[in-house]
Amino acid sequence: MKKILIAISLFLSFNLAQAQDLVKKIPSNAFTVATIKGDNIFKLMFVKDFNESFVGKKLLTETSKSMDKNFTSIEDFGINLEKNMYYFNQLSDSITYNCFLIPIKDAKKFESLINNKEKKFTQQGDIRTMVLPDSTGIIKWNNNMLYFVTGSIRGSFFADSAKSARYGIKDIRFQGEDALAVDSTAVLADSAVAVTAEPMIEEVAAPVIAKAKVQKKPTAKKNTKKIVATKKSGKKKPAKKSKKAKNQEYEIIYPEAASDSTGMTPVHGVVDEQYDAYQQERAEQDLKKKRLAFTWMTAQADQIFNGTYESIESNKSYSASLDNKAIAELWVSSLQDVYNSIAPEFGTYGKAGLMKGYGSLNAKLFMDNKSFRISTGLELAQNQADAYKKIMNRKLNKNFLKYVNSEKALGFMSYSIDSKAYLEEFPKLLKQTYGSFLGAKMDEEIELGTDLLSLLLDEEAVSKVIKGDALFVINGLKSKEVTYTTYEYDDDYNQKEVTKTKNETLPDFLFMFSSEDTRLINKLIKYGIHKSMVTVQDNIYKIQEKKSPVDIYFMIKDGIVFFGNSLSEMQSISTNQQNNKISKLHKDLLSKNNFSFLFNAKNLVGKVPDSEIGGEETAKKFNSTLEKMGNVYMKSNPIKGRLVSADISAEIPNGHENALKYLFSLIENAAK
Amino acid sequence: MNLKQLYKLLLFILLIPVLSSCFEVVEEISMKNDGTGDVVLTINLSQSKTKVASVMLLDSVQGYKVPSKQKIQQELNEAVAYLKKSEGISNVKSTSDFNNYIATISFSFKDVSNINNITKNILAQQKIKATNTSSYTYNKATKTFSRKYQAIVTAKTEFNKLKAKDKAVFNGATYTSIYRFESLVTSSTNPASNVSKSKKAVMLKSSIMDLINGKINVSNTIQLSK
Repeated sequence: MKKILIAISLFLSFNLAQAQDLVKKIPSNAFTVATIKGDNIFKLMFVKDFNESFVGKKLLTETSKSMDKNFTSIEDFGINLEKNMYYFNQLSDSITYNCFLIPIKDAKKFESLINNKEKKFTQQGDIRTMVLPDSTGIIKWNNNMLYFVTGSIRGSFFADSAKSARYGIKDIRFQGEDALAVDSTAVLADSAVAVTAEPMIEEVAAPVIAKAKVQKKPTAKKNTKKIVATKKSGKKKPAKKSKKAKNQEYEIIYPEAASDSTGMTPVHGVVDEQYDAYQQERAEQDLKKKRLAFTWMTAQADQIFNGTYESIESNKSYSASLDNKAIAELWVSSLQDVYNSIAPEFGTYGKAGLMKGYGSLNAKLFMDNKSFRISTGLELAQNQADAYKKIMNRKLNKNFLKYVNSEKALGFMSYSIDSKAYLEEFPKLLKQTYGSFLGAKMDEEIELGTDLLSLLLDEEAVSKVIKGDALFVINGLKSKEVTYTTYEYDDDYNQKEVTKTKNETLPDFLFMFSSEDTRLINKLIKYGIHKSMVTVQDNIYKIQEKKSPVDIYFMIKDGIVFFGNSLSEMQSISTNQQNNKISKLHKDLLSKNNFSFLFNAKNLVGKVPDSEIGGEETAKKFNSTLEKMGNVYMKSNPIKGRLVSADISAEIPNGHENALKYLFSLIENAAK
Repeated sequence: MNLKQLYKLLLFILLIPVLSSCFEVVEEISMKNDGTGDVVLTINLSQSKTKVASVMLLDSVQGYKVPSKQKIQQELNEAVAYLKKSEGISNVKSTSDFNNYIATISFSFKDVSNINNITKNILAQQKIKATNTSSYTYNKATKTFSRKYQAIVTAKTEFNKLKAKDKAVFNGATYTSIYRFESLVTSSTNPASNVSKSKKAVMLKSSIMDLINGKINVSNTIQLSK
């Protein structure tokens, strides 16, 4: 027992030692976290192999060229390839930070990479800092890690003058043109209010005011009508006079300029100058914003480097999303939060909370010796998860498995839901999503609508007719003889119509769904026969549809409704002579998941005659592409807690060590 | 998945082996010694009828809108109406068979050059700026029938812009032209053409691909015995 404990503690401490991971540096309020797992990647492919690969060589020669250096290995970049690299972002109402955390192995090597011309970085202790040109980003590093941050100020924040005023920033809009065109006091009043609302006193560019002053006298005399306008706006004057005289004069410029519409040049002159002033001020404000962003970025970078704070590891949703086998991961905190944080920019829609009920999102990429796999997950609110659980509480009818022929199957698709639960839960989900979207006013109507739906539908009865599971399978291709018309010519080249036959290759499809109560379907069949839309032979019905390019048969057997285009397949199902073998992969996919999809390209190779693909050459390409494809499949996983998830996998063909190497070989082939 | 969606899925699967289809375009001209004659144009898609029938059930395929049966019939009627108004053209008829997907248009002309005007006008209507790429002449005095053809340069460049899978539609499509005469043919200049046993007809068969690519030229001068 002791030994086991020691072993466990050893294992744990080893793990802790390993966990000197930069994730500790990601703050708990990070919004998105993306990870590239160096150790897992370079387990699949040694650094040496990477350097010698097509992609590696290209990368090294290109960077060597642009840096005027000679790199022989990606290790020359000084990055620690055995550790995780991170990207994360932080959102606030005023700034968005995009941040990268990269493990460093050899800081000197990295410095030589960025330090080619002039030494631009500063050093404090062992922390080195470099500011990107134009102050748009900061790079900070020491001997173990590198941190790169760029920040962008959010326009919406500074549109709120009260907030922006705190930082001495004004929201500036060019109004000269409008005020000129619309000779209205209302506009003036508005602009006056807008300006007075800003408590910060800013120097208004001098030229405009000077010009306005000069023009004041003659224009006032010329046009009495416009003077009224001036007077009206002038009425507002007393209220703000005490605050700032200069600004008022600036406002008055608009009516003055407008009144002078008889003399075009001065107006234009004023507008141009106003515009220049506006531009100048705009640039000043932008610079201020930039400086502010830089100040914030610097503080944030210092915090990451020197501060202590709670890391993202404490976030349960994040830590639960991790998988130590993944080679790359992405985690996005609650969609609802994302939505609400962007919401101000979307105006009223934001308040609706369209994303209510959706939590965090994650995606993981796996590569191993068999396949590529992308796994995605989405957290739901508890009530939503419960609803989905009820809907997903159905397994595919086991009898379906008898009708899949794995040796020949080109592919299949299946789903199984509890149709009764679906009909009951769907209106609720609808209400939850759209109820808030349409606003409180519509609540009653929606309630009424959903109730009406429940009233009209007898969920129980419907779920007996269509239980909610279905399978669509293509059990191979079949050649079929078809006739066609062509021409022959006699000795005089007179045309003679002749009928010839040729073989066409068509996929044999089979579609089935379970039904407990087939009375309705039987009635439909009876009606069909009566209207001669359906014919019957040995319990197999044929749909009489001239338009259809293939014959479609259907039948009901053992609580399953079958549709298919192969009469022989239908007959063998009817007489229990099916002799199909289902592979384990297919069986697992179908029986364990609520949704599955599979495409097996290999079973298509060489099955379609060249003539039907469009000649030998096209056929060759077609077949060789298919040969390179392994099984591609998708499946939904069972709901775990509040997490719904689905996987997409693509198997790699034999003869390749692992998916990463296969990917590299694909890129190399494509580049050739 | 409702039945309609299932049906669409099924149709899509039927069409998987790329949309390559065989179709025939046949042009027959029967010349009388006096310069008058008849034309029959045939488009026969029956070799691909399964695919065509599948396509007809879809709204669009590979990004192209699929015309309805009514629309095709209407276009055909418009073509007939247009021909009826054309100078020197009479006896215009059309047939359409939507089971085998075969359509024909036939008419009589006073002079073979009447056909040239039709192509010219059609090109103008479609706003295609092309020098008359195909023209027929019949010289009663010398009894020579000739067709001048020049591959439309724009056709090739436009064709090359198509996606590979769209180009594949033309794989296996053929063009046949047959000229019949009352007198015996003494010579036919196009090496790809064949003179019938009776020496009263000339046939030229080519793939539409070669025609578009300019690999084959259908120009021909046929000398009749005097």
